[in-house]
Amino acid sequence: MKYRITHVTSYRYAEAVALSHNRAHLAPRDGDGQRVASFALDIQPTPAAHRTGSDAFGNRVDAFVVQQPHRVLAVAARSEVEVERPPAPDPSATPPWESLAVTAQELEVEEYRWESSLIPASPALRAFALANTFPGQYVLSAGLALTNAIHRGFVYDPRATAVDTPVLKALELRRGVCQDFAGVLIGALRSLALPARYVSGYLETDAPVGRPRLVGADATHAWVQVWCGGAAGWVHLDPTNGCIAGDRHIVTAIGRDFADVSPLRGMVLGGGASSVQVAVDVARV
Amino acid sequence: MPDQPLFASYHAAPGHGDECLDAGGGVQAHWRELAAHLERGGRAQLTRRWDEGRRLLRDNGLAFQANAGSGDQRPWPLDPLPLVLSCDEWDGLAAGVAQRARLLERVAADLNGARRLIADGLVPAGVVLPHPQCLRPCRGVVPPGGTHLLLYACDLVRGGDGGWRVLADWTQAPPGAGAALENRIVLARALAEPFRAGRVQRLAPYFQAVRACLRALAPARERPRIALLTPGPGSETWFEQVYLARYLGLDVVQGDDLTMRDGRVLLKTLDGLQGVDVLLRRLGDEWCDPLELRGDSALGLPGLVEAVRGGGVALANPLGSGVVENPALLPFLGGVCRQLLGEQALLAPVALRWGAEAAAAARAEPSRWLLRPAGANRGAGWRLDQLDDEERRRLEAELEARAHAWVAQELEPWSCAPAWDGGALVPRELVLRLFAVREGGSWQVMPGGLARTYAPGEAAQGWLGRGGGAKDVWVRARGEVADLSLLPADGAAVELVRGGAALPSRVADHLFWLGRYAERAEDQARLLRAAVARLADDAELGGAAGPAAFLDLLRRFGQPVDEIDAAGDEARLLLLAGDPGACGFRGLQDALRRSGGAARDRCSADTWAALSVLDRELGQADADPDANRILARLDRVVFTCAALAGMGRENTTRGPGWRFLDLGRRLERASFTAELLQGGLCDCPGAGSPALLEALLQVADSSITYRSRYRTALRAEAVLDLLLTDTTNPRSVGFQVRQMAEHVAKLPGGGRALPGPAQRLATRLQADVTLADPIALAHDVAALKALLASVAEACAGLSDAVTTAWLAHSAPVRTFLRDGRQGSP
Repeated sequence: MKYRITHVTSYRYAEAVALSHNRAHLAPRDGDGQRVASFALDIQPTPAAHRTGSDAFGNRVDAFVVQQPHRVLAVAARSEVEVERPPAPDPSATPPWESLAVTAQELEVEEYRWESSLIPASPALRAFALANTFPGQYVLSAGLALTNAIHRGFVYDPRATAVDTPVLKALELRRGVCQDFAGVLIGALRSLALPARYVSGYLETDAPVGRPRLVGADATHAWVQVWCGGAAGWVHLDPTNGCIAGDRHIVTAIGRDFADVSPLRGMVLGGGASSVQVAVDVARV
Repeated sequence: MPDQPLFASYHAAPGHGDECLDAGGGVQAHWRELAAHLERGGRAQLTRRWDEGRRLLRDNGLAFQANAGSGDQRPWPLDPLPLVLSCDEWDGLAAGVAQRARLLERVAADLNGARRLIADGLVPAGVVLPHPQCLRPCRGVVPPGGTHLLLYACDLVRGGDGGWRVLADWTQAPPGAGAALENRIVLARALAEPFRAGRVQRLAPYFQAVRACLRALAPARERPRIALLTPGPGSETWFEQVYLARYLGLDVVQGDDLTMRDGRVLLKTLDGLQGVDVLLRRLGDEWCDPLELRGDSALGLPGLVEAVRGGGVALANPLGSGVVENPALLPFLGGVCRQLLGEQALLAPVALRWGAEAAAAARAEPSRWLLRPAGANRGAGWRLDQLDDEERRRLEAELEARAHAWVAQELEPWSCAPAWDGGALVPRELVLRLFAVREGGSWQVMPGGLARTYAPGEAAQGWLGRGGGAKDVWVRARGEVADLSLLPADGAAVELVRGGAALPSRVADHLFWLGRYAERAEDQARLLRAAVARLADDAELGGAAGPAAFLDLLRRFGQPVDEIDAAGDEARLLLLAGDPGACGFRGLQDALRRSGGAARDRCSADTWAALSVLDRELGQADADPDANRILARLDRVVFTCAALAGMGRENTTRGPGWRFLDLGRRLERASFTAELLQGGLCDCPGAGSPALLEALLQVADSSITYRSRYRTALRAEAVLDLLLTDTTNPRSVGFQVRQMAEHVAKLPGGGRALPGPAQRLATRLQADVTLADPIALAHDVAALKALLASVAEACAGLSDAVTTAWLAHSAPVRTFLRDGRQGSP
């Protein structure tokens, strides 16, 4: 599957901003079933400094500083990506989850086993995880069971939560959006000592004829990867849609939680009241 | 009462070892000199000496420890008895601390890089990866010189087996070196004889090394700027930070004083933006950059991590060093030491378990283990057997879900040392903090340190919280001790500099208000004093202004005269003057503390001493209003203010800092005097009467001048000339406005082609006052009143104009932005 993706973020400020520092995770990841044919980042006004690097999780990060006074900051990311993931492994070919919970894994897997700032460990997450899995269950089966428990048991409700709603609150409410659901699933998997990571990206939403339209249109999307052992590797789970993520999910950044990968974060001096507009378009080509 | 012996009646705390006593209860060899000296003087002398010591502490501004957050201050609890360490003991400790610093530097480098220690199984992943100070943005950032740790402090305790054990490592912004220096300065004076005779090693070489360490981080340029980055005056250790910065010759800056251009960190000063090359940070890692680290930090500088990556600034300690400030690492460092250094660790840790083992140990023997969060060296600890059922159930659930975030520390009695409780020597349980700095490729340990003390049995919990007593640490030298100072000894040529370091706008603002508040305190005290003096001074009752006239004057200055419930004006006046809350002294005390504290690094030691005395006097209340006692106190307030003003004139270099301080003072005095004249000559009952004229002269300290000039009865025009237009009288309005105009003209940017608003106001004010005709005005009350009112108004306007032009926090509000949550536009 080949996509052309446009992601435009515009901040408008009531007063002039004198200085603005920003970090963007807006480039699709190359590799793991994705090939990035092109990527361009257009920033207005032109930054005084712009450095492209790699963060601690292997994501591309664009750090830029705008030093001239401005009232609008517009960041447009345009990319062409080809996605062709291998079919998901057969759950019964993955090991029982307990075996992965006790064995130390390679460093870059261990990174995702522990609680992180936005997804703290808690008795409630562990109770939720234990209630929806059973001992000896294949790790991918356990992951899917939790994915489905969230998909069936939680209500998609943008008004119930906000960007900073704690994961535990979403778990208690049984409501939220993809960011909340991903947080709950990661927290539940980690409470079983299973490595799980937060995936930020896009979802193609133009529904093929006769099939239901998937949630997440015109927005960024978030889902989860669970570690299924050395043979199966990381498997994508989408708790918002209750499925294994396939060729319609496009990955931009991977981290421990939203704080590691938020698409664009910045700090401005001045500016007064501000508003932000985000427009996302994922088109199949 | 016969003087009881000090040491002979000192006994070790039961169950605890003692630093001073041997097993038989005798004083150990390395303490004997000090003990003999104190014994000779006895309790009386120790009491006297310590009164002096405490005064020194107070007067040097070392007396305070701010309570974090509240801004309240409490006395620094220094003990007059130092902890004495023998040379042999010290050699072992110093080698151990240096080795540990060397080790932790290597560990920090690994955990911020390849993490071989985790891959090789020497440190469990769960100790490091969920640790709140394991900051991913710092991973892979290589600090200048490739060194991940530059300053280190180590907390040690002596356990039951007699060996020193590591209780904690401080690797982010190790606190306490400044406090150790303060303690030493006070004790070396209070106990001057035993200090000299005891061959105590000096601390100066350590601070020399700190300075060299910071200097080496700066790019090779003539005069690099090195600053101490502080959380601000609300910080618990603010006074210590300022003291340290001043000793090392650094600017004290807050995040808001800094900005960033083209990847460089810049300090906002009155002269514009100036580059900063090195920051000695007193902020924890996570607070340094709200963009990449904690988004809710209002303390650091957005973009700082990126500036470090680009080499635009160097930090000490480098960012990311907090990854080894981790209690859970303690049990694993012995193995790491063998692996990384190929050495046996010289210092062992206290018995401490991590994670599931911690939980198991605490459940098995709840009274033996203290459960602590693994995230930090500060906080609280719990014993499972001391919790009620509900608390215990909650802690158990927490341990089940988050075992990795807990450690259990074995409780054991630590050694004690004698401390002075005001009447006798009593044993206090000890935690010893030692400091090390990496300079020229090796680690130097401060020959001394900071000991914290607690009641026996309370150290483990007390240390986790804040508080405890403090002790200086005396390390005995083998041979003679050379006197050292921070001045360079090599005779290298010094580039002469005038004008000094550029002044941050924030500090200039505080100096301006310090000048205003100090003058206001003096003015109010003078007015109250004149009022009370009239009451005490029956002899002159005939021609003197009565209490009613003074009450009226006081009312003009916002004193709550009418709210005081008492029979008769005389009683009201006394009640007002005796109550620091009512007469406004308490408010001035707070304001002076704020401005004085914030401008601490710009005040000389003497200035600070005077401020401390003023602080004390302003806060005192006279519960039983007695005119003579009140007068004596008001006298002391006036004298102290005069001393402050004198130091401002005589001991302050004529830079912009002095101009702002003096401008504040002049502005306040001009406005006060104009108001006073308006009251005494125009508005009060009996305005213009000889009694009131006399009062005006007295408040303005100009009676003698008047008598020497006129030797006649009091005449309004003569008084008016002396207090309004005479520019030779340093208390007249004319004198103030002339000085103000000069200051404003000479402030940075004052030489512009066109005068700014402040200059216009000051010039007009000067012209109005200079051109006033006292003889005509004395006969035209309305014109006089209009002039005096316009002077007061112009002063207020000038204050605003100066603030806008130079002092307004040019730091607009910072906002943290991100593009909204995922999944929903």
